[in-house]
Amino acid sequence: MFDAIDQPRAQDGRAPDVFRPGAWVQMRCYDDSEQVDFAIVGTGAGGGTLAAKLAEAGFSVVAFDAGPFWRPLEDFASDEAAQGDLYWTDERISGGADPIQLGSNNSGRGVGGSTVHYTMIALRWRPDWFKSRSKLGYGRDWPLSFEELEPYYEEAEESLKISGPVRYPWGKRRKRYPYREHPVNASGLVLARGCERIGIDWSPLPLATLSAPRGMAHPCVYRGFCKYGCSTNAKQSVLVTFVPRAIAAGAEIRDLAMVGRIEMGKDGRATGVSYNRRGKWRQQKARHVVVAGYAIETPRLLLNSACPEFPDGLANDNGLVGTHLMTHSGPGVWGVLDEEIRSYKAPPCMAGTEHWNYSDEGKDFHGGYAFMSQGPLPTDWAQTLAARGLWGAALRQEMTRYNHTAGLVLVGETEPQAHNRVELADEKDQYGLRIPRVTFSYSENDRRLIEHGRKSMHQVLAAGGAHQLWDTHDTSHLMGGCRMGDDPKDSVVDADGRTWAIPNLWVCDGSLFPNSGGVNPSLTIQALACRIGDRIAEMAKRGELDR
Amino acid sequence: MPKPVPEPSRRPLIAVGLGGIAAAGLIGAAAWKLWRRAEPADPGKAAERGLRAGAAILSLAVLLDSGIEHYRGEFKNPAMFVAPTLALATLGMTAVEDEAAPYVFSAALAVGAAGVGFHSYNIGKRAGGFDMLNLFYAAPLGAPAALSLAGLFGLAAEHPGIAAPARIAPVAALALLGTAAEAGLLHFRGAFQNPFMFAPVTLPPLAAAVTAASSVSPEAAQVARPLLLGTALLGIAGPIFHSYGIHRNMGGWHNWSQMILQGPPLPAPPAFLGIALAALGLLPALERRG
Ligand SMILES: Cc1cc2nc3c(=O)[nH]c(=O)nc-3n(C[C@H](O)[C@H](O)[C@H](O)COP(=O)(O)OP(=O)(O)OC[C@H]3O[C@@H](n4cnc5c(N)ncnc54)[C@H](O)[C@@H]3O)c2cc1C
Ligand code: SF4
Repeated sequence: MFDAIDQPRAQDGRAPDVFRPGAWVQMRCYDDSEQVDFAIVGTGAGGGTLAAKLAEAGFSVVAFDAGPFWRPLEDFASDEAAQGDLYWTDERISGGADPIQLGSNNSGRGVGGSTVHYTMIALRWRPDWFKSRSKLGYGRDWPLSFEELEPYYEEAEESLKISGPVRYPWGKRRKRYPYREHPVNASGLVLARGCERIGIDWSPLPLATLSAPRGMAHPCVYRGFCKYGCSTNAKQSVLVTFVPRAIAAGAEIRDLAMVGRIEMGKDGRATGVSYNRRGKWRQQKARHVVVAGYAIETPRLLLNSACPEFPDGLANDNGLVGTHLMTHSGPGVWGVLDEEIRSYKAPPCMAGTEHWNYSDEGKDFHGGYAFMSQGPLPTDWAQTLAARGLWGAALRQEMTRYNHTAGLVLVGETEPQAHNRVELADEKDQYGLRIPRVTFSYSENDRRLIEHGRKSMHQVLAAGGAHQLWDTHDTSHLMGGCRMGDDPKDSVVDADGRTWAIPNLWVCDGSLFPNSGGVNPSLTIQALACRIGDRIAEMAKRGELDR
Repeated sequence: MPKPVPEPSRRPLIAVGLGGIAAAGLIGAAAWKLWRRAEPADPGKAAERGLRAGAAILSLAVLLDSGIEHYRGEFKNPAMFVAPTLALATLGMTAVEDEAAPYVFSAALAVGAAGVGFHSYNIGKRAGGFDMLNLFYAAPLGAPAALSLAGLFGLAAEHPGIAAPARIAPVAALALLGTAAEAGLLHFRGAFQNPFMFAPVTLPPLAAAVTAASSVSPEAAQVARPLLLGTALLGIAGPIFHSYGIHRNMGGWHNWSQMILQGPPLPAPPAFLGIALAALGLLPALERRG
């Protein structure tokens, strides 16, 4: 796997064939001086998906990723430590009252982005969240409705062949998932039992991993290495779905290519990007630039691209770039069961409940949360225990209960707050680019939500038969930083991801979110990317793209 | 309506399909030739032979299927040894003339029924009860019924007086429907990802309907033959397609010891062959009734 880190693989007219060991696929390559229609920064849930959509619509596309182009069948070792290269671990500064730990739990780096090591939970948003201010009285309204996004949720689910339950208990009536639900592992069944005993619904989770073969991709083998890269291609990451589609449709993927700056013309339009590949800075000309580096790197790039015309950073006239950063609170509850659980078998999260996303009764807070069963691998587990303050003999003793432990983890909504944000620090990284400083503090509402969630998880886990419960705290997904809106004064981009300030500069990733909802974000990011792709194609047809 | 989504990768569907069907066709044709050559002139004997052959194939299928699946379940409950053991005994009784045969066949009939009860109980006590998750993945509801059927066919072969072809035909029809329902459930679990997965849910129900009708109408019995032959062919094609299915799992046949458990079940489809053979054996008698 090490050559992927040192040497670009996607070049000279070919890219790795992710489905066949050692094989290559043809890839169209563009010259730096050739002005392509779209330069996309980042190939994750947002960027990779959009690259496929735009290339399939006939645009010329170059998509950059700072990370490597993995070959899942060969590179991904069943070794937690060896797989650390999947994460974005460049230096970042994290502060605030509740500093977010950055790295493995929220940012990937590589073609396919964080979806290469995500846990594949593919949930739609509660429809009301798109209008949470007007309908539920908190947060912010999105500039689009659930109904507008619904066909794109469907498209994203179809593209990833989501394996989901025949009947999902929450949300609007939906079309059947393309593939069927997976068997639920024992820790999922603890959650199921607990929920049934306290009288709330639970469900097997819809997952972006195959429960049946698909083309050259194998079905899941339930070994549970998902967070460290799936070596069977069962996981429908962007790397094995949209990226091959993008390449087949004529897009170029440039791996190990860190974009440091968006180049601006005197007319206030973007002209392309500067990127570093193999230690050299180069420039790619493009008619449009799309930033899709996720909630930290996207604002960072916009801020780092400040120029005389845009001294505070691109698209930042109203000072909103980088603000309203959100995470999901992720407290965990663990307990010991008499029977053997082996929660590390199968994808980590197989069953969950969205009860408190859809039922607002008796809540002393705004917003919602879901929680799921979880299943850490040994090193992860040992670290969790060590973080509890256990060491030496006590740690060893507790680790012997690994096979009998089950845990639940929350995905808790947090409020968008202006002071939770990404800024530039004075320190620079290996490319000479200013590194991001991330500030985060929970609001009072966030804390009440966490408390409520923790209590619910205790209830369910105890009802499921666990004893000796104990707690952990973590955070997960990132969202916001370049929020979308209807009003140029209080948003960075419009409903199509187009920045208000620069007509040929777009954002297409998790930073678009005006609020964070109580479920994992990637399906919504991919639905947005599918929609943005269609919108761009429509605008081009009507001649509105190059306004 | 969203546009169809382009597939990121493909496999040679038509070539594999044609190959599978051709292989099954060759095997089927050879077997049919042998079967016809030895066709007894007496319809009663023909029925007995069909029922015996059906019982043999069903018990072999149950032996392998329950053996593999209960092995996967680590034989956690000693009762899990009963099905494969009895299937083996039933298989033996179909091959030799033995006084113990009626007892063994009756035991198979009873144990199969108990198995359905056992599996239902297991499903019922799981979280979710009789929801799709458990119907997909918990102990299969219909599978033990195949053992009952093997016993029943065995008994019927021995007691042509009680088990007249016209009485057995509806039973065979019902068995075909049940088997098609189980294939349907499991192929639905596999999202019908390969169009050939539709075959066992289309042809056998048709064959079942006509077989049931043949107990009252000799004309129907004539129509039933090609349909039952097609169903029998499915029973042969099934394991061929399923072995391709195993190949499509991670590691494929190189990883056979895992993928035989995780991939599509090899011994399941021959149940179609067993039931179809039994029904085919009944046809001469049913045709002559008119
Ligand atoms: C461990 C883990 C588990 C998760 N589980 C789930 C889950 O179960 N369900 C779910 O919905 N979500 C999950 N997520 C979250 C999900 O993966 C992300 O929300 C989603 O991938 C974000 O999409 P994105 O396009 O915004 O960014 P990413 O997918 O992170 O893609 C950004 C890409 O941009 C590249 N990049 C950034 N800056 C630059 C630059 N300047 N130049 C070149 N390239 C750049 C990065 O290398 C990266 O590859 C999980 C995340 C993690 C880390
Ligand atoms: S459990 Fe399934 S999705 Fe996860 S790594 Fe293994 S095969 Fe891939």
